Amino acid sequence: MNITEYFELLFTDYTLRTITLGTAVLGAICGMLGSFAVLRKQSLLGDAISHAALPGIAIAFLITGTKDSNILLLGALISGLVGTFWIRGMITKTHLKSDTALGLVLSLFFGFGMLLLTFIQKQPNANQAGLDKYLFGQAATLVESDVRLMVIVTGIALFIMLLFWKEFKLLLFDADYTKTLGFNTKLIDVLITFFIVLAIVLGLQTVGVVLMSAMLLAPAAAARQWTNNLGTMVFLAAIFGAFSGVVGTAVSASQNNLSTGPVIVLIAAVFVLFSFIFSPGRGLLFREIRFRQNRRDLHLKKTLQFMYGIAKTHENSSHPHAIRILNNFHGFTKGTLRKLEEKEWIEISGQQWSLTSEGFTEARDLYNQQKKDE
Amino acid sequence: MNSPQIEIQLIAVVVAIACAIPGVFLVLRKMALISDAISHSILPGIVIGFFITQDLNSPLLILLAAITGVITVVLVEWIQKTGLVKEDTAIGLVFPALFSIGVILIAKNANDVHLDVDAVLLGELAFAPFDRLLLFGNDVGPKSLWVMGTILISTIVLLLLFFKELKVSTFDSGLSAALGISPVIMHYGLMSVSSVTVVGAFDAVGAILVVALMIAPAATAYLLTSDLKKMLWLAITFGSIAALGGYWVAHWLDASISGSISTVLGVIFLFVYLFAPRKGLISVLYRQKQQRTEVSLITFLLHLNNHSEERERHINHLQEHINWQKIRSKTVLDLALKNNMVTVTNNVVSLTKKGDEFTNLALEYIITNKDEKIEHMKDDFFLFRG
Repeated sequence: MNITEYFELLFTDYTLRTITLGTAVLGAICGMLGSFAVLRKQSLLGDAISHAALPGIAIAFLITGTKDSNILLLGALISGLVGTFWIRGMITKTHLKSDTALGLVLSLFFGFGMLLLTFIQKQPNANQAGLDKYLFGQAATLVESDVRLMVIVTGIALFIMLLFWKEFKLLLFDADYTKTLGFNTKLIDVLITFFIVLAIVLGLQTVGVVLMSAMLLAPAAAARQWTNNLGTMVFLAAIFGAFSGVVGTAVSASQNNLSTGPVIVLIAAVFVLFSFIFSPGRGLLFREIRFRQNRRDLHLKKTLQFMYGIAKTHENSSHPHAIRILNNFHGFTKGTLRKLEEKEWIEISGQQWSLTSEGFTEARDLYNQQKKDE
Repeated sequence: MNSPQIEIQLIAVVVAIACAIPGVFLVLRKMALISDAISHSILPGIVIGFFITQDLNSPLLILLAAITGVITVVLVEWIQKTGLVKEDTAIGLVFPALFSIGVILIAKNANDVHLDVDAVLLGELAFAPFDRLLLFGNDVGPKSLWVMGTILISTIVLLLLFFKELKVSTFDSGLSAALGISPVIMHYGLMSVSSVTVVGAFDAVGAILVVALMIAPAATAYLLTSDLKKMLWLAITFGSIAALGGYWVAHWLDASISGSISTVLGVIFLFVYLFAPRKGLISVLYRQKQQRTEVSLITFLLHLNNHSEERERHINHLQEHINWQKIRSKTVLDLALKNNMVTVTNNVVSLTKKGDEFTNLALEYIITNKDEKIEHMKDDFFLFRG
């Protein structure tokens, strides 16, 4: 199956449509809530929480004995929240730093989850097959009810986000100010964290524990490069996320042996790379171009300034001088000389240059900021 | 105990010690999550190495994978340097991308590769003794024991050789640069050792347990001491205890060894986190409560000092004046009485000579902005703490 066939099938094939819709919705909610995680410098929270969710899944299975994905996700949500608040407790109450706290929760919870999973596997009522799909994620196992759950959660998250938009934004950029205004910062904080954890848990089934953090981060990091406006960023991140979901599913469906999760993550990574390089405001390419332009401009002005310094000492400011006395120490190159001539700031005859009256005024006012602003 | 059991425990302890040493420095340098990133991003290196060598324990594969680990660090630092995203975001972007490449490489060649992601990520210590190293036709022991043993010995040698340099560059990179010890070289040296350790250990214990073995013993030790040497010893001890304890828990539950080693590490950490003297949660909470009461006491004494009129010093009036709850006022008053700071006659509180002296000294420190001296003063004056 190639890509065009995939898009033809998309409208007729039930499974394909469900999976595509699921990954798109997942990408959108992750991008949306991921923006907050990235801006709150909690980027790696996603990594820690997705690992910390594993024991919750195992315990939920041990208690209920069912594989109903909603119950397992509830377990994941609870253990993810326990992990989050333990991380916070460690950072505020002890001298352990956030990286250590994140790493501890990540590895210890995950290890405990593995212990439980292997313990379950040895149990006689072996209907546990499929629990390990949460490890690496299998988009192919998405069914309509999963997608419906995702859509509902996305709707609620969107509603809450719009309702508390002002508070979220304020807390994000100036927590102390928010507190002095009388907002209950703790409550807002818990609310954002809760939704971030919820998004992570929802994604586990599709992209798995390891890659979940990239799902959360990549669209937001890409969107950040294009705008300085929170609303635009959240919107763009949701679009990027949904788009990587759809394209990732399409690519993995059109090839054999390609699991969806890693492909989605790689597509999202391509978005990030593209944004890093080509975004007009912050991107590396335009930054380099601006850098070079500024340097060339500076060279030009340096040469002009040097010429002015010489011409100033003569009564006749357009008295010709030898080109030889210029050197590249003063920003001189053949190119700059030609540029200066094009601007009619100097005149060149043979091996001699002379400043025009225009060039003289320009050089005199070069560092006169007041004149410039007029 | 039979011989594979002894060998498994031996491998577990060697891995634990080999991880604990670089782990201490990672935790102190606030780079604990780099170990997580490396442990995932070595996957493509392992896969490519495996295509070439067809052997999970070959030195070439370990070298290739370790290089991938160092590349991860370089990439993270490069992204950070562009200033486009924060450091933690850079880590979070790099390793899932590299890991995905590894997963796809495995999937595309699934037919001719005896390697799967589960094995890399989770590892299985129980199988380690079956992979023997044959030397001149003699069986000299499990391969991974030799691999990890070599890594451990090199780590220890490097640690002993560069202990001073590592210490200086970890705690004060400015001083270290001034002394002519390049912090950059130390940084990349540590990163290379960590990468090699992670790669060597993943086969035996899995990528996630490597992270647990690196961070948890070091973090536990950090809660108990502020001395680098003691911290190293404690981390090694905790790692080894967890390795042995974890093995027997797994034996008893018939479950994954690496999972139960992390669980034991978790239990040890939780215990120390709660009960560590001075830095543990309970001790921190107790100290905070104590300090709150003592600050209240000083406020109370200052209030008494300010008012000579009896009406202001009446025991019931105080409660409404300083706006405290009933229990709080009682705690503070009791503390003041126990320490002989005040006397109560006819329900009127007045400062004793000692209380007066204390208050005036405290006032002087507050006025001259030397608040920190009050803490020492408490030791001189207080018989009972809050």
